[in-house]
Amino acid sequence: MTQQTGKSMFSVQFIAAVLVALIAGVAIGFAASGLFAPPQQQPQQPAGGQPSVSKKVIQIGFTLPLTGELSSIGKIWEKVAQMAIEDLNKEVQAYGFNVEFKAVILDDGTSVEKAVSNVQTLAQQGIKVIIGPAASSQVKAVKSFADSNQIVIISPSSTAPTLAIPNDFIFRTVGSDAGQAKVLAALAFQEGARKVIVFHRNDEYGNAFADFFAKEFAQLGGKAVDMPYQAGLSDYAAEVNSLASKVQSEKADAVVLIAFDTDGGNILSHAAESNVLSSVRWFLSEGPHGAAELKTPAVGAFAAKVKLLGTRPLFVANPLYEQFKQNLKQRFGVDATVFCDNLYDAVMLAGWAILRAGSNDGNAIRNALVEVAKHYYGVSGWTIFDSAGDKANQDYGVWAIVKTGAGYDFKDVGVFERGQIVFTEEPYP
Amino acid sequence: MLPIDQNTILNFLFYSFFYLLFAVPLTLSYRTTKVINFAHANFITYGAYVAVFLNGLLGNKSLLLASLLAFLVSGTLAIVSYFFVFKPLEKRGASMSLIMISSMGLWIMYNYLLYMLADIAHFFSGVNFVSYGRILYTDVPEITIGSLRLSSGFIAVCATAVGMSLFFYIFLNKTSLGKAMRAVADNPVLAEISGIQRDKVITFTWLITGGVVGVGGAIWTSFSGTVTPTTGDAMILQVFTIAFIGGLVSLLRTGIGAFVIALIENVGISLLNAWFGVPTSFRTFLTFVALLVILIAFPPLGAAGGLPFRYRKKRGGAK
Repeated sequence: MTQQTGKSMFSVQFIAAVLVALIAGVAIGFAASGLFAPPQQQPQQPAGGQPSVSKKVIQIGFTLPLTGELSSIGKIWEKVAQMAIEDLNKEVQAYGFNVEFKAVILDDGTSVEKAVSNVQTLAQQGIKVIIGPAASSQVKAVKSFADSNQIVIISPSSTAPTLAIPNDFIFRTVGSDAGQAKVLAALAFQEGARKVIVFHRNDEYGNAFADFFAKEFAQLGGKAVDMPYQAGLSDYAAEVNSLASKVQSEKADAVVLIAFDTDGGNILSHAAESNVLSSVRWFLSEGPHGAAELKTPAVGAFAAKVKLLGTRPLFVANPLYEQFKQNLKQRFGVDATVFCDNLYDAVMLAGWAILRAGSNDGNAIRNALVEVAKHYYGVSGWTIFDSAGDKANQDYGVWAIVKTGAGYDFKDVGVFERGQIVFTEEPYP
Repeated sequence: MLPIDQNTILNFLFYSFFYLLFAVPLTLSYRTTKVINFAHANFITYGAYVAVFLNGLLGNKSLLLASLLAFLVSGTLAIVSYFFVFKPLEKRGASMSLIMISSMGLWIMYNYLLYMLADIAHFFSGVNFVSYGRILYTDVPEITIGSLRLSSGFIAVCATAVGMSLFFYIFLNKTSLGKAMRAVADNPVLAEISGIQRDKVITFTWLITGGVVGVGGAIWTSFSGTVTPTTGDAMILQVFTIAFIGGLVSLLRTGIGAFVIALIENVGISLLNAWFGVPTSFRTFLTFVALLVILIAFPPLGAAGGLPFRYRKKRGGAK
């Protein structure tokens, strides 16, 4: 009996709840269609400066790592994307184009599967240019879909040299790690390391970087011992422990860590507790740069102890970049981290390429993109692509974690010039 | 020479205790409620995030306070899931697999809810909550015995895991509510006929399931290098593996499973690495090989087909 009444009570409540939800949903739907529908009415109109009453809206797709292993900087990138779209709109309107770019940002959770489904979702909406995904493994996964459907993919941060493939629809506004591996090897060697353990993510990015690093380091006369770790774990205590025994058994004098944000931060904070790992030098790739976990007191103190240094793609001494950093801080309250400049320029290039192509055709946009990039100088420097669609001229900087008034923070302390690291300041006194 | 050092052993114990805290409540909740609950991962993460928010927003340095609040928050989350999702579905005669799928939905929903909360908190405080470093607590002592340094995180998880085991033992064997819980697990119909308020027992089960796991999550912040809104997700497969070793029925075997999996993941992989050069990135692979071997070699322990007869019948039976 009681169950019966309970059941009918419940269904009344349930129906009421469904009705409320329905009404709310319809209301939201109306509001949303009011906001978004009119712009989508004429997607096929050619771009150009014809004066008309309403602005032509062009969508640019984004698949960003707002969650998952790159989320720490993914959150910052979201703001950069927003700022870039605002600036792009101001710029094209100043040139007299009656268009408005809109960002469609999707979260890919730093996962391969979600990146693929995001690209497909965006493609179904008729979007031809997609910024992202971030990780090389993701770019590799979306490549065949992008190529066969003529979707232009511009990744601001994928650096695996294995993806430097000519004549595809993948562009990267950053140089491949073939370059960075050389810089990191030079840095480690110049700092006195002769035998290093390369502790790296077991994925496209980590494996390719480690391979190139080992080659470059061997050329300089050093020896690199390869040690991959499985990414995507909740914690890396056991991995760090194995690393410590490896350092001991191999008698290595440095660790080269090739990681993303959360795994990098995790590994460093466990390493800080190990005597063995606190007594060797540490050299990092660009991946963990900018991650908040590295600014914690424990990791900061560890960095000072092991004189931690990292490399990252950076167009040095670029006044545009300084201005960009200030703008980002002022308007969104965040610090520019690794690849923020590359992302910003990716958006700019995408916008101008779409206008130059004058149509919503993937192939035309691709060809236009190559031309636009030749003549564009942005916050990441000269954006010209090489034959594989990667940034042709990539400079590299050296970063450290230094103590500031408000705790620990990242700082660019050197540059790579003519095969050598030149320190612009002393990172660890 | 055995390539096992002090840290390997410490890590093994660390993981054993955490797995105990996460997996034993899972077995308990399944055998009492018959829900295969994937939102279990959220109980871990929400517990951890109670500690993270307390530390990041209020500067809290007390693990005890964080744990108590984590118990309440994760416990409430479990009860809310039961009242608003599992119970209504069950009343309308939803099958077990349907309820399981709804728990997956809850899992993802709670995940994004946490991301939203982290974003809102970030907006107001400027602190990055999407990925948060280890928290140093001041209210748990560090113990040094000779050259052996036991971190405060270790003391906390050790004490809590032992405490939880004792609590469950005494509670389930000596108290009437605990006995009622076992009765409901054994035969819900018979339990109801003999005057046990099944609903009350199940609600209470959810509270302690969520609560204990939440406390584990809070303590996790003193051990792990980084806490993210997906911290629990990366662990949930291991936790389920351990619960399956206990057949989702036996708390004792689940407890043994926690030690077995932790042993394989820490000591096992370093032995394989030292002797055969197996890369340490095979760690997760090993866990699931262990799961399959255990399921196939000792079927009565795990797998639905191997459960005791009374668990094989369709849930409830009363309509």
